[in-house]
Amino acid sequence: MSSFGRGLRGSVVALGTVGALCALMLPFRSHLSVATTALVLVVPVVLAVAAGGFRAGALAVAAGFLADDLLFIPPYGRLSVGNAQNWTALAVYVVVMLVAARVVARVDAARAEARRREVQTRHLFDLSDVLIGVTPLADLLGRIVFTMQRAFSLRSAALLLPTGDEVRVAAEAGTPLSPDELRAVSPSGGERRSVVPMSGRRAVPGGEMMVVPLVSSGRPLGLLVAAGGPLDVHDQELLRTYANQAALALERSQLREQALRTALLEEVDRWRGALMGAVSHDLRTPLAAVKAAVSDLRRHDVALSPDDVDELLELIEVQSDRLARLVANLLDMTRIQAGALELHPEPTALSELVEEGLGALGAELERGRVKTNFVGDLPLLDVDHLLVAQVLANLLENAHRHAPEGTVIEVQARRAGQVVEVAVEDHGPGVPEEERERVFQMFNRISGGGRAGLGLTIAKAFVEAHGQEIHAEEAPGGGARFVFTLPVAQVPTEIA
Amino acid sequence: MSRVLVVDDDPSLRRALRIGLSARGYDVVLARTGEEGVAQVALAQPDVVVLDLGLTDMDGIEVCHRVREFSDVPVVVLSAAGAEERKVAALDGGADDYVTKPFGMAELEARLRVALRHAKSPNGAQPSEVVVGELVVDLVHHEASMDGRPLELTAREFEFLAYLARHAGKVCTHHMILKEVWGPAYGSETHYLRVYAHRLRQKLGDEDGHLLRTHPGIGYQLVAS
Repeated sequence: MSSFGRGLRGSVVALGTVGALCALMLPFRSHLSVATTALVLVVPVVLAVAAGGFRAGALAVAAGFLADDLLFIPPYGRLSVGNAQNWTALAVYVVVMLVAARVVARVDAARAEARRREVQTRHLFDLSDVLIGVTPLADLLGRIVFTMQRAFSLRSAALLLPTGDEVRVAAEAGTPLSPDELRAVSPSGGERRSVVPMSGRRAVPGGEMMVVPLVSSGRPLGLLVAAGGPLDVHDQELLRTYANQAALALERSQLREQALRTALLEEVDRWRGALMGAVSHDLRTPLAAVKAAVSDLRRHDVALSPDDVDELLELIEVQSDRLARLVANLLDMTRIQAGALELHPEPTALSELVEEGLGALGAELERGRVKTNFVGDLPLLDVDHLLVAQVLANLLENAHRHAPEGTVIEVQARRAGQVVEVAVEDHGPGVPEEERERVFQMFNRISGGGRAGLGLTIAKAFVEAHGQEIHAEEAPGGGARFVFTLPVAQVPTEIA
Repeated sequence: MSRVLVVDDDPSLRRALRIGLSARGYDVVLARTGEEGVAQVALAQPDVVVLDLGLTDMDGIEVCHRVREFSDVPVVVLSAAGAEERKVAALDGGADDYVTKPFGMAELEARLRVALRHAKSPNGAQPSEVVVGELVVDLVHHEASMDGRPLELTAREFEFLAYLARHAGKVCTHHMILKEVWGPAYGSETHYLRVYAHRLRQKLGDEDGHLLRTHPGIGYQLVAS
């Protein structure tokens, strides 16, 4: 509470209690001695001091003096008193009461001060808790200024950190610092300025402002600014202690963030290496087959039957398609990661999409292997046909690669409300339950030294680009079943 | 007719190898997984194994180890370019030679022929003499001759040559040679090997390295061209 408010309250208490007590005593004033009334009028003084400090107490003394003199010591209503003895009583009352008020006010102030220190100390402890706990840097900065502003009852508390060449406010609590105050701390805002010159540990002129540098291991980290608070010497000491603690915490947090960033970079590096390895494996495998086949076809001394020649040529075609699709997948992945995926949805029939997907697979997958099973009349879908054809191609390729030769791959579809549920089902080994989430992750099968498995990752990204979902489950009778949804197109009524 | 077991998880490469090797007169047995490959080594008793290191079910190096537990059949591994550590690990694990993908069929067949020619005698007896082309290494009397001309070799040079001769046809890694010839405390002093290989080639009259072949970053191989 402000000192003005406290004084006002004290004055009200002083005058109010004097008035009330006088009103109570007035009817019996002829029976009351001077000593009695003076003694009763001790009460307002004590209450006023407690409520408003010494000044309120002094006011109560003055009011008590006047009331006693005018109302209770004959002649009533006049300042003069009957005899010298009454003067003595009044004088003693005033002197004793002023001394008492002074003493009570001191005790009171000491108690208030002790309470304030206790609050500050508690805030300091609170802060050390925060400092020890794992806190992100931004939270920590906020906590430091918030705790500081509360603990020292400041108008504003701010923490400034060097950003590039400037010192900028990184966190503040209370009323933001005025431009003038900011200039006092960091002249002309963007001008190049080191933190070090500010490290003189003294209050900076320009209002009640104190600037404390945050220094840890001899390295300046930033500045703490305390403005608009009555900071006595003790407060300033405490503020420095606080600043030291904050500096340690800040350094610790910065180091931690740095360590995290380094760890992240290492992780990214590791994955990039793994991805490169997996992608090059995927690119090399078809190349190895193509090269082996071509090297045979070019040799005239090797006895190849016409069937063998056909088979080798077919193999080369299929593997070339596979390579082309892999490169396309890599490009798609790059687009997805760059966030450059643009959707051009238009009403499309699922059968066209399946046809397009099979076309993309080229000679890689014999058409006869794929059966479609659509329940009822399917509505048109509101999809980007390029992306969804790619989803189907990737799922079909995945099924083709994992299911034993000769088994059927089925594309099923049925309407479910505003979406059509599409499933690609094979009769291969299936996906173990614990793998069903991971199977869509880009680096999923890398650790096993195998494929990059970009196909499923891309399928998931493309389905999700339509705001839809994809998941893997077990096919009835064993095998993998990849299910995804596609939105139904809203055909205008005049066409429908 | 030699029987070759091809262990590869890629159907197209399996097909290309089956056609190419069959046309060259091999009896080809195929295995799609490492597990199946190990089983086929026991069941089909191949004369040589072509093993892709990049299998999905099992590490190819692990397949090498498993095969070596019960068989001395020569193993030629297929490995991606740049994966030198994997090749070394496979060779240390018992593989005899490697071919880097992508490869031509002629190259693979040449490696298979070397592996077949130097395959150990089935009874596993230690020979007292090894003949590699014109080179004769007498392991009992610690003597060697080239084209009938005796070679003046220091003890260490002979040990080096004898080690390669005992494993003729196999690519011996730096690590293996150092451990066996120099002792268990050695393993990374590849510069020793370069010096000794150079001296040996001079004495063998093999400056081009046709007989004592260098596999850069991997090891050495004694092979009759």
